[in-house]
Amino acid sequence: MWQSLWTKRRITFICIVLFLVFGLVYAVLFYQAPGKQYRMIYIPKIADEANDFWTSLIQGAQMAAEDYGVKLELYAPDSETNYEMQNEYLMEAIKKHPDAILISPSNYTGNNTFLEKVKEEGIHLVFIDSEVSEEIQELTVATDNVDMGRQLGEFACSFLKEDSQIVMVGHVQNSSTAIEREKGIRKGLGAFEENVLETVFCGSKFSVAYEQTCELLKKYPELTMVIGMNEYSAVGAARAVRDMKRGNQVVVLGIDSSLEMIELMEAGIFRGVVIQKPFNMGYLGVEETVKLLEGKRKSGTYINSGTKLITINDIYTEENQKLLFPFVGNQQ
Amino acid sequence: MDKMQRERMRVHDLFARFNSIRTAILIPFSILILCAITIMVFVSLTYTKEAVYENAVNYTGRLLSQLNADIDSYIDYMDNISYMIRSSEDVQDWLFADAEEAREHAQKGIAAQIDTILQSRTDIYNIGIIRADGKALINGSTDMLNENIDVTDAQWYREAMNHPYSFYISSSHVQNVVKDCYKWVVTLSTVVKNRHNAQEQAVVFIDLNYSSISKLCENNRMESQGYVYILDSNRRIVYHPRQQLLYGGLRTEHTDDVLLNGQEYEIVEENGVSRLYISRASEKTGWLIIGVADTGELLRKSDQAQLMYLIVAVLLLIVAVIVSGIIANQITRPVQALRRSMEQVQEGHLEAHRVEVEGNHEIASLAHSFNLMSERIDALVKQNQMEQEDKRRMELRALQSQINPHFLYNTLDSIIWMAEGKKNEEVVVMTAALARLLRQNISNEDEKVSIEREILAAESYLTIQKMRYKDKLEYEINIASDIKHEMILKMVLQPLIENAIYHGLKYKESRGILKITGYRVADDVIIEIRDDGIGMDEETLAHIFEEHKVNYHSNGVGVYNVQKRLQLSYGAGYGLTYESHVGTGTCVTVRIPVIRYGVETSGREGTVF
Repeated sequence: MWQSLWTKRRITFICIVLFLVFGLVYAVLFYQAPGKQYRMIYIPKIADEANDFWTSLIQGAQMAAEDYGVKLELYAPDSETNYEMQNEYLMEAIKKHPDAILISPSNYTGNNTFLEKVKEEGIHLVFIDSEVSEEIQELTVATDNVDMGRQLGEFACSFLKEDSQIVMVGHVQNSSTAIEREKGIRKGLGAFEENVLETVFCGSKFSVAYEQTCELLKKYPELTMVIGMNEYSAVGAARAVRDMKRGNQVVVLGIDSSLEMIELMEAGIFRGVVIQKPFNMGYLGVEETVKLLEGKRKSGTYINSGTKLITINDIYTEENQKLLFPFVGNQQ
Repeated sequence: MDKMQRERMRVHDLFARFNSIRTAILIPFSILILCAITIMVFVSLTYTKEAVYENAVNYTGRLLSQLNADIDSYIDYMDNISYMIRSSEDVQDWLFADAEEAREHAQKGIAAQIDTILQSRTDIYNIGIIRADGKALINGSTDMLNENIDVTDAQWYREAMNHPYSFYISSSHVQNVVKDCYKWVVTLSTVVKNRHNAQEQAVVFIDLNYSSISKLCENNRMESQGYVYILDSNRRIVYHPRQQLLYGGLRTEHTDDVLLNGQEYEIVEENGVSRLYISRASEKTGWLIIGVADTGELLRKSDQAQLMYLIVAVLLLIVAVIVSGIIANQITRPVQALRRSMEQVQEGHLEAHRVEVEGNHEIASLAHSFNLMSERIDALVKQNQMEQEDKRRMELRALQSQINPHFLYNTLDSIIWMAEGKKNEEVVVMTAALARLLRQNISNEDEKVSIEREILAAESYLTIQKMRYKDKLEYEINIASDIKHEMILKMVLQPLIENAIYHGLKYKESRGILKITGYRVADDVIIEIRDDGIGMDEETLAHIFEEHKVNYHSNGVGVYNVQKRLQLSYGAGYGLTYESHVGTGTCVTVRIPVIRYGVETSGREGTVF
């Protein structure tokens, strides 16, 4: 009886059943709904270890990619003004047909035809940090320059009296950021807007800003405030004030930060700077693109990555340290 | 009906519902297995979740303890370096000596010592000694204080001064005291006292590269999307893998509400995600090392485990049911075979219904006994049949050997009458015929005779009867020559002829004719005895083969006995058929098979007993 119970055929049958069921068990256990892994390509203006802003932005984007399980590829030109290289990278990126292309366009108009192609291919287009003359992007993550200027302008008011004299050193005339920042600063100054004597543009060169500020300091002996609109103009202006020994009378305010700016702030030349949050910008860039792809963000959304006013008193607060010194801690 | 009886009935009904042994085995087996598996699954399901948490807590706890030990030993090591500097004579001299020369000499010694340390330890950024008067010796003498910063304002300086008997470990911060440095460091600061005059104090600080701490943490990656972060004694973040997100305001982390109540672990739920927080406090640094695990991830694993348990349980159940079904089949198959066989035997099919059951268990021995029993019964039945048949044959033999005494008496009476009338010739003929008849009857050895002999006997009988009835009887015998040598039972024709005469021809007014015709049809021999007597009505015809119709005037054998004998010998398909109409006569047909090779066939088709 028991010999006949375990016939060869029956054993084979039971083995097959066991095999099938265990196969099923493993399939159930290790089957994970293929959580859609988004593919994105980011084309920054530049990737340069020495450039804190872009390094920080890219790190933010990479961290978000890690957090959201996004496959992020980077195509970075060697120079911030090389928009032709960006266009080449755009063509390459289109060929790979990712879910979205994120770009920080280097030129206000020079990328347009290629960006159109991205749209034609049905790839989602996201701008980070900068925009172009046409509104073809679905999402923008950038610093709100008007708001940034307003923040600085409002802070400036605390140093001003009725007869104060103000000059502004801009970076590139007619560039969108210069226009917006100036507009913001004037808004923030409110009634003191009248006190702005002059605005000059240095073309984003330390030396030009320095020269121009020296000229202005000589021209207006009673000058009470210099406002620099980016790192180059602000540092150039501050150096001039320091070298002309006018630090006691002239309040220098700036936008963006660098180690030199911090030293100048510690030295009492800068009274305040407003800084961007590049890490946040990169992180939000990827995070918001994921939301866009998931349909949680409407096309045409503008995301402000935020700014922060730093004064001499709060350089070393926990929060500001990381914004001002994003990477020095990782240096060997 | 009292309650107990009713209960007994109910139980009986319950078992009556299992209308086969197979069901009776299968269902209780299955229920038993189902219960066992259900209990097992229930226990393991409730256990899994706890086990998963416990595992996570244990694992994370071990991880954190390890990390804690790593950090402590690291800090210990740094404190040793600090102690080495503090206790050096050169440092004492540089700090507290009065002579400028001694100080300058000491400075060189210190510079050399610090230089050696910095060469060998790349994870140390700065080693500095700050005198109470604000003078500082940093990294030997290569670096200077940042002139824009008041070093006595630095937290690590103040804390060291406030706690002169232990070292102070700062949180991670940017070191701004050293000119042009601005590096992320963790500062260990300790007070140095003047050995001769405890009032005078200075501070020694060591700046550790922050990444040496963060690397320790990053190396200890937690499983299931977990991470480790460190808070200092003021609940400020020393290390967090997403520090920039925290400061950028994109993310928040628990810094003071979690894990301050001494629990081993805590589960915090926010935004629909629940996380497991486990902490270890470091005694050396006062830091709190916190491990975080995503419980969703953990539970997913436990869900997987639970699903596995369920599937395995279902699988086991299926296998158990199949196996118990097979076992039940194995047990009941021979029983059912036995039952079928018994049904057959019950219906009388005794032979050819052996039950084949292999093995030597109870059912097999039962089957064996059953086989023996049915064989024995079969043998007994056959023996009984044979005995019965023999007995009947003996009876018939006894019957057929008898000659009707009335006939004998009448014949002898006729002979006497003829002798008295001097009809010698006729006396001779009749006596010869009677002698032939008697010889046929007396020669008893053979049950069967050739048709020729049987016809001869019939003719002798007819000769006698014809002489007795004179002109009233005429006969014709017409037998095909190819059947003359076929065998037939003895004393078949004579009783039929007798019947025809006494019941048919005798009552006829005119002369009656009796015709005997014999021929072959295929493998059968047909002998017809046809008279043109008064015939029979249908009712008489319908009862012609019944036993009570024995005519006591004839020899007592009667139609019934002839028919019985024929069918016993040749089978149900053979024997007599009567055909009769009132006024026209009767025809009886004898049908027998041709027996070849002289072998007697048993010929029985139905079962008779």
